[in-house]
Amino acid sequence: MSEPIYKIVDQLPTGGITVMALQSLDFILPGQWQNIVGFENTIRHVTGETDPALIRQIGDRAVRLFNDKSQGYQRALWLYQTVDNTDALLGAAALANKVGEKISFFGFLDKITPKPERAQSLDLSLKLIVEILAFCQINGIPGDSLSDFLRALADYSGESLMRMAALICFDGLIPLGPDFLLKCLGTLQSLQPNDLQENPTFKAISAVVPGGSPSGQLGFVIQSFNAVQGWMSQFVSSHELTPQKVINRLQSFIELSKDNLDYLGAFLDMSTNYYYHTGVQTLARRLIERAVAEI
Amino acid sequence: MAMARWLSALVLALILLITGCASPPPSPYEQVQQESTQRNAPAAVSRQATQGSELNRFFPPEGNGFERIFVQEKKGFAEAKLKKDGKELAMLAISDTISTPEAAAKFQSTTMQIAGYPAVEVGTTQTAILVANRYQVKVLSRDPSFTASDRKEWIEKFDLAGLAQLAP
Repeated sequence: MSEPIYKIVDQLPTGGITVMALQSLDFILPGQWQNIVGFENTIRHVTGETDPALIRQIGDRAVRLFNDKSQGYQRALWLYQTVDNTDALLGAAALANKVGEKISFFGFLDKITPKPERAQSLDLSLKLIVEILAFCQINGIPGDSLSDFLRALADYSGESLMRMAALICFDGLIPLGPDFLLKCLGTLQSLQPNDLQENPTFKAISAVVPGGSPSGQLGFVIQSFNAVQGWMSQFVSSHELTPQKVINRLQSFIELSKDNLDYLGAFLDMSTNYYYHTGVQTLARRLIERAVAEI
Repeated sequence: MAMARWLSALVLALILLITGCASPPPSPYEQVQQESTQRNAPAAVSRQATQGSELNRFFPPEGNGFERIFVQEKKGFAEAKLKKDGKELAMLAISDTISTPEAAAKFQSTTMQIAGYPAVEVGTTQTAILVANRYQVKVLSRDPSFTASDRKEWIEKFDLAGLAQLAP
């Protein structure tokens, strides 16, 4: 059984590497993401209501909805958890102890290794798949057509849009460079179904990836990547994003030298859980939006 | 003097011990958590609830610069965002009260009506009606410029007669 949703939202951190890393991306989406934490605080923020009795009623309904397994919210949470857990090579806990105002990078170099390009490309693609699957678990397929669904995706804002920005920056631009989309597509096209099955993230989520057979699932991964890559490439060009710009911002809280930039992607993978963090925020928001409309 | 110092040290130690051991206050949601996770707990959404996809067609159409973006479609529930000039103004929702009888009960004592259906205002941001004793139609302000009279106006734009026929 999952932890109670109110505890999960109450326990989201207000600081630490994940929050700092996300805040460093504020230059891309100024003011879009505030780190809203705490269950009742989120209810107030989402609904604009302040009456404690009403907030309690909304919270009660949200808890019931989350606990009804048929509604898919728990599965969405599990997807967000899984994608961050499987890409963390080392325990983030060990690192978290060393986090102060600034993190000196050198101490960790002997413990981390950059992933090969192929593994990194696959990681990025699978995170995208998880986004699509979790979106469907949380929201259903809203509207009556594919175009309704794509409009809902294009309407991403707040923590959902920040999650996509972080995906592009931390799992695309930094580890793979400015042509990360091409590299990723190349990797996907060269894959055999059994390559996919060896990936730890895919192994964990394969039961919920559509496609029927491993080759069908590979087809689904490629198809989904193709569907979203146009949006991602547009995002990069409209915000004029480059790896250097992102690194410059990160340097405000991580001490980096030119010699160890190769390790930055691995370091972020290992020490942040931005997918889970913003995923819980999205999940809570949607649950609360439903609860307040139903009571 | 030494005694006084000793005593104050003891009191201080005791205070630290007590505050250190005090567990956090129980969450107000613990009870509902227990109720909804125990064996044979009733589901939050009834099996007889109408599918969200059946509710979509009763939403107000887009037009006059207003965008309607469907955001959720679950069993017993459908919701769309109302935007104008890129600004989020309100949420539009239909829910099936078969899963939430207390939501339907709040209309029993009201004298207010919108489009001939019993209506209530909830909190400071919501207006709702109950259609055919079953479906709750709610408009929720998300921007201060979207007032109670805007909410009433948008409730009237739903296909309420069509929705009423959906009720068994």
